[in-house]
Amino acid sequence: MSGARGSPRVIGGVGRREFLTTGGGIISAALVAACDSRGPKSAERLLRYAERKNLVVERALFRHTAMDVPQRGAHDAGNKLPSYFISKTVPIWNESERGKWTLEVGGLIGNPLRLTLEDLQKLPRVSYRVNHYCVEGWTAIETWTGCRVSDLARLVRAAPEAHYVDFQSFDNGYHESWDIESATHAQTLVAYALDGKLLEPAHGAPARLFGPIKLGYKNTKYLTQVMFLPEANGGFWSDQGYEWYAGV
Amino acid sequence: MERVRHHWIIRLTHWVNVVAVIVMVGSGFQIFNAYPAFARKGELFCCYPWEHQPIPAWLTFGGWLAGARNWHFAMMWVLVVNGLIYLGFVYLHGEWRDLVPRRGDLRDSVQMLSFYALRRSDHPRQGKHNALQKTAYFLMPVVGVLLVLTGLAIWKPVQLAPLTSLFGGFVWARYWHFVATMALVALSVVHVFMVFTVDPYSIRSMITGRYDESMSPEARNARPFRNLRPQSDRVSRNRAGTPQPPAAT
Repeated sequence: MSGARGSPRVIGGVGRREFLTTGGGIISAALVAACDSRGPKSAERLLRYAERKNLVVERALFRHTAMDVPQRGAHDAGNKLPSYFISKTVPIWNESERGKWTLEVGGLIGNPLRLTLEDLQKLPRVSYRVNHYCVEGWTAIETWTGCRVSDLARLVRAAPEAHYVDFQSFDNGYHESWDIESATHAQTLVAYALDGKLLEPAHGAPARLFGPIKLGYKNTKYLTQVMFLPEANGGFWSDQGYEWYAGV
Repeated sequence: MERVRHHWIIRLTHWVNVVAVIVMVGSGFQIFNAYPAFARKGELFCCYPWEHQPIPAWLTFGGWLAGARNWHFAMMWVLVVNGLIYLGFVYLHGEWRDLVPRRGDLRDSVQMLSFYALRRSDHPRQGKHNALQKTAYFLMPVVGVLLVLTGLAIWKPVQLAPLTSLFGGFVWARYWHFVATMALVALSVVHVFMVFTVDPYSIRSMITGRYDESMSPEARNARPFRNLRPQSDRVSRNRAGTPQPPAAT
């Protein structure tokens, strides 16, 4: 525009064209840098620092009295509840190979237990119609039935030093550890029934962890062990970069 | 006449906000793409025609869902703290007077639009900002507050359930978070477009703070892509055939 017509306009010692191209360049560079990348490597430490700080905030926000209640008029997911596991095929407990399924409760407790499905069903039974909050952003309403992890903790006399609980599975080593507050929330269940029917292998049979107060990936399916621990023990997704706490 | 137009706190918070918003929007798009829909499982969603169509990957940031979430939940603090510093300063220092809507803004906005649409030949009189600008700069923090509140609502739908209910529950809160993002993106795109096509001189005022009023869009009678050069200069060239320095003011 102006270049051909004599001296370029000068703004504070900088030519207008230069001014515009530099400004545009800075903004485009920022955009290009932001495009479909994981961001600078050096930011990793900063992001981990932020997660540690967020953990403090999230644990401070946590209230045992905060309950998940589905919205009025909302529909159940029914058979639209996605099935998810990390094994290549649906994990099924093979009784002929591995004997009868039991849930081992161990760690920092006074009374180690191995519970069969029948034993679990004899414990105080509770049902909750609640949301499932997936990390991907969808939610699904289902009714889960089982016993509270807090009842289990009382039954096995969990020690006061047990600040964490690790939930292990037979799904190719999948596990996730929880803080004790969230694990003993009233809505955190070792669930063996979904919508009034015994769990199917697609959703974690014979028993799975289910609590609406954490994102779906924290809720270990195909349970084998509930371990009360003094320290957190990471988890399948937490170890790969997903937030460990993941409370909602 | 040159004078300091933007206090250094305004300039600093503006550029911090640029970085924070770009990262928040990019990582937000990446997070959205993990489930680019709003329907609860087993339901349909009434009010989004593009269910299950992801946002183009080149607009996303964070690389994958966990990476984007980590960026989102780290940068949110920068956005909020920076936003509070900006709002606090604007309130205490009196700049809010240049931004809050007043009676007559609607009429002035219509005048600005008719000027941009070439229906009016002279630039409407204005204060620090024209009426359209003022509206945009007022709406941005409003949308920002909405973004933060809806963001908290979908971050903690159980622990902050009353807030989530206020936005109509988790699904709707997530929807409003998305709609507010799109509104902020639209306002920002128009803002950047207008800066480059109407008032590129204002970029310097957002860096050094200094702004030459004789270069203002009102003084230049500037529309998008028109009259980018100062008015007085063009007039003098037309009369005498030689460029002259701008009139001293």
